[in-house]
Amino acid sequence: MDNYQPALNDVFHALADPTRRAVLRQLTRGPASVTALAKPFDMALPSFMKHIAVLEESDLISSRKIGRVRTCALTPRKLARAERWLAEQRILWEDRTDRLANFAESRASKETKI
Amino acid sequence: MTADLGRDLTISRIIKAPRAIVWEAWTDPKLMEEWWCPVPWRAEVQAFDLRPGGAFDTLMRGPDGEENPHPGSFLDVVPMERIVFTTALTEGWRPAAPWLAMTAIITMKDHPDGTDYSAVVKHADRETRDRHEALGFYDGWGAVLEQFAAIVEKRA
Repeated sequence: MDNYQPALNDVFHALADPTRRAVLRQLTRGPASVTALAKPFDMALPSFMKHIAVLEESDLISSRKIGRVRTCALTPRKLARAERWLAEQRILWEDRTDRLANFAESRASKETKI
Repeated sequence: MTADLGRDLTISRIIKAPRAIVWEAWTDPKLMEEWWCPVPWRAEVQAFDLRPGGAFDTLMRGPDGEENPHPGSFLDVVPMERIVFTTALTEGWRPAAPWLAMTAIITMKDHPDGTDYSAVVKHADRETRDRHEALGFYDGWGAVLEQFAAIVEKRA
């Protein structure tokens, strides 16, 4: 339990960010280069690399550099079943909370315009 | 309130909207249907009786005709502040054996930027979870994320 908890903390921290969840979703379709992963995001590369670093530290993904290309891949086996189960619920609730926030914020901005 | 790291989740956000709007988004079933489920799944709020012991039943409808019912009930309601609900009890505190027993504690507080929102989600003991696993709900991390990927793509 002692060495299980810090790992779980890292996983949750990794999953708490929408950019990082989007990267994980992209990687479910197979390994991809950092450049390709960064493309959908309006973000400077150094900021994006920080997200990649968090995902690597949590052991959710691994990356390796061949020549000038760094390729990332999911490391599904790193998550114990217990962690996977809770990670799944985590994704559900993080996403749900983001949708609520977006929904309430757009309603709030509409109200102030009227 | 103590959170058990192995089975509890704490999610918090500063939502840039007044608390009244966040409360309304949560407590008007028509509005809740807008955000409860990820597209292309749709949420149908079938019962929403916002008082302790009142029914809170949602149904998630999938794009291929899947139906996931989540019957439950409210345990505690403090207007504009707090909603506690569970899937372990249904209307009138009748014990239930859902596929996923959970209790969620939703709190809303004023914040200079809007609303300080948090959800603490508590799950049942490990045996319950393991039983779910035995029932075959666990195709694994990859499969779960695959579903999400599919969802995100369809939305794009």
